[in-house]
Amino acid sequence: MKKEYQINQLQINSLGIIDFLLASSRPIFSVIMAFLVSGVIILIQGINPIDAFSAIIRGAFGNIGSIANTCVRATPLLIGALGMTLGIRGGIFNVGAEGQLYIGAAAATTVGLLPLPVPSWLHITLSLIAGILGGSLFAVLPAFLKAYRGISEIVVTIMLNFVGIYFVSYLIHEPNLIGKADASYAQSRDILPSAALPVLIKGTSLHFGIIIAVVLALILFSVLKYSRFGYRTRMVGANPEAAHYVGVNVKRSIFTTFLMVGGFSGLMGAVEILGFKHSIFDYFSGGLGYDTVAVSLLGGVNPLGVIVSAFFFGSLRAGGNLMQQTVGVSTYMVQVIQALVVLFIVGIGFMKPRIRKQKSTTLQPIETNNLEG
Amino acid sequence: MLQMKGITKNYPSVIANDKISFDVKIGEIHALLGENGAGKSTLMNVLYGLQNLDNGEIFINGQQIHISSPKVAADAGIGMVHQHFMLVENMTALENVMLGLHQAKPPLLDIKGTREKFNSIVEKYGLVVDPDLPVWQLSVGEQQWLEIIKLLFRDVKLLILDEPTAVLTPAEAHQLFTTLRFLISEGRSIVFITHKLDEVQEIADRITVLRDGKLVGTLNKEEASSFQLSTMMVGRSVTLERRPRPIITEKSPVVVIEDLQCKNERGLTALKSINLTMYSGEILGVAGVDGNGQRELAECITGLHLPTHGKINILGKLVSKVVDDSSLLGFIPEDRHRTGLILDFTVYENLVMRTYKDPPFDWHGKTNWGKVKTFAKELIKRYDIRTPTEIVLVNTLSGGNQQKVVVARETNGQPSVVIASQPTRGLDLGAIETLHELLIKERNRGAAVMFISTELSEVMALSDRIIVMFNGEIMGEMDGENANVLHVGEMMMGHRIEN
Repeated sequence: MKKEYQINQLQINSLGIIDFLLASSRPIFSVIMAFLVSGVIILIQGINPIDAFSAIIRGAFGNIGSIANTCVRATPLLIGALGMTLGIRGGIFNVGAEGQLYIGAAAATTVGLLPLPVPSWLHITLSLIAGILGGSLFAVLPAFLKAYRGISEIVVTIMLNFVGIYFVSYLIHEPNLIGKADASYAQSRDILPSAALPVLIKGTSLHFGIIIAVVLALILFSVLKYSRFGYRTRMVGANPEAAHYVGVNVKRSIFTTFLMVGGFSGLMGAVEILGFKHSIFDYFSGGLGYDTVAVSLLGGVNPLGVIVSAFFFGSLRAGGNLMQQTVGVSTYMVQVIQALVVLFIVGIGFMKPRIRKQKSTTLQPIETNNLEG
Repeated sequence: MLQMKGITKNYPSVIANDKISFDVKIGEIHALLGENGAGKSTLMNVLYGLQNLDNGEIFINGQQIHISSPKVAADAGIGMVHQHFMLVENMTALENVMLGLHQAKPPLLDIKGTREKFNSIVEKYGLVVDPDLPVWQLSVGEQQWLEIIKLLFRDVKLLILDEPTAVLTPAEAHQLFTTLRFLISEGRSIVFITHKLDEVQEIADRITVLRDGKLVGTLNKEEASSFQLSTMMVGRSVTLERRPRPIITEKSPVVVIEDLQCKNERGLTALKSINLTMYSGEILGVAGVDGNGQRELAECITGLHLPTHGKINILGKLVSKVVDDSSLLGFIPEDRHRTGLILDFTVYENLVMRTYKDPPFDWHGKTNWGKVKTFAKELIKRYDIRTPTEIVLVNTLSGGNQQKVVVARETNGQPSVVIASQPTRGLDLGAIETLHELLIKERNRGAAVMFISTELSEVMALSDRIIVMFNGEIMGEMDGENANVLHVGEMMMGHRIEN
């Protein structure tokens, strides 16, 4: 068979709660290092980093409103990062979540604008499904190219992000489509109230999406760990050639997994609109799609870990504003922290195999071991 | 010209080179012969400075030299053409040559001068390459010429060619040999790494054979017969006894192959009209030097590789896609790390790769891991897999036990056909014997077993019937009990013997 598939270069741990706890030392270490380094940067600005970080914590958890805000920020990150996680486990590195989320958001908005004669729960469901389908549809091209032509999905999806973002921009600039007439800043019309996700706590922005996201995480965890589909997908991700040799249709697996990954991204966009933004405007996502990579990696590419890391990133985003207001450190520092976390995680990931190799020389002769040994 | 003395190179778990001595005279082609993993490439990587040696000395023209990097080697007049070419695909042939070459007036590129020299080399050595074509548009043969041109630009005195003909058509190989002879007539020396015996006899002046990281011997061309070379190359230091076995009288055809033809990954003909029948209760040994179509034959039977012509029937059923019925066929692929196992999965996850979608492991799409673990425990016991538990990662097991995981997975469903492709490669003697026992058990159960190996002694010890493959064809067939080693060796060289 031709070597069409690349085996994942990422170091990912096996799936399980204990594995996750064991593996979480690396993310925790990375987070601490990221705070140390960004603390130094803040110090150079002449500001006490402790003040800055405590502002983030207060902004994220200070009162019921800020906790709600943290959850709202975490919701799309969690959904998107679940897609990323499924992808990495199945041999796909999807950097196209950003574009897929725009298309998903636009599809959900379109349905959310229709005055359907149905109950609210059904209107919401239909809008969410539209979002999933939109994201999946936008993943068809990279999925086909990856699965059947062996073309790197990374390049294709990055390029398609721009296509998605600007296509949606076109849609909202056109009043005949979903655009709002006489808007000062181009945006879509607001979705109908019947399509909006219900608010959980009155007076806050906390919406039903958080429940969807957490339930999805639990479902994805059990699907990957306990289902036939999950096992097959992980086989393809871990060693596509071995999977092919035992009769798995690797190409089809990559194709379908990719569509599901796109569906997660589309749902992320749909939930963000139906639950929080209620209309699309240019660059409404603020790079949420790209952040899913970081969230997934910080979560150890494990759906349970991703819940934790999504809330961590959500709290950074929620707390960043207060940091800017009270101590004058720009909210961009939050992105610096995020980037540092990823750098440390990836950096340690590259160091790890070497350590393991050294160990194996003393403990485990690889090839010429006697059977009795 | 070159002398290497007592070269030793240890890898974590294997000695790749054990006190090897090797020398090359001015104006000779010295072939370095051995199976895959015999230590040929390691030896040359040491010489080229890609690997540091643990022990030993290297002399060039009588002077001791410490080769710490490829740059030192290049300065000493040593050049190497790697098996995988070191070319920049998007650059033209000329630009590739200019890379890293000292320019007449730096920082400007001396394009005109380089082109003139390029053309003169092309003319002189008959290595026709268009200097203005980007590398990706060149044929594989032309890319090889370009690699040699690069070395000639640097006026290399010692050329190392690592399996140069593996990617060439016969006509291109012929051209290469002509050029090589011309190069030595100019006083250059050549080390020619290969595992193909016919090439050695055609081109080499002297031949050094390596096996399992050790020097077997160096022969002059005149003293080297193909039989002698092949036994030096594949014979193990320990001979394996032929295994006693019950006689099975009732044999029925299980796999019927008719006029099978196929191409390999590069689109070259791999199998030419194979007709073969495998019988129940029989081990069919497939002997032959590596790369003569054995892998394609195995992958065609398993449905992984589709033939261009002809058909294969297993118990009357035509093979048209990957055979995933574990009660019909078990396949032990030749590279357990790459295709046989998922190293980052646990032992029990690896054991269920063939049967995860069947009851009792699957229940409406949900995998019953409890049952899988019980099943894994049973297999670990039955196949004597030495592992602390079933939940450890399979890459912590020894090579022999990893292979037992593959065998257990592929044979526990009592398949009618078992295809074992180089199953003992890289294993030690104890593990090899265990594996042979497992295959005999499969035969005694009534399975049709195919045992593909480049180790002649293993084929002789294990097979009920032996076929020899050469260049995509079956050179002959004989009874395993009375097979003549000499005849098999001759057939491995491509001679037909009429019994």
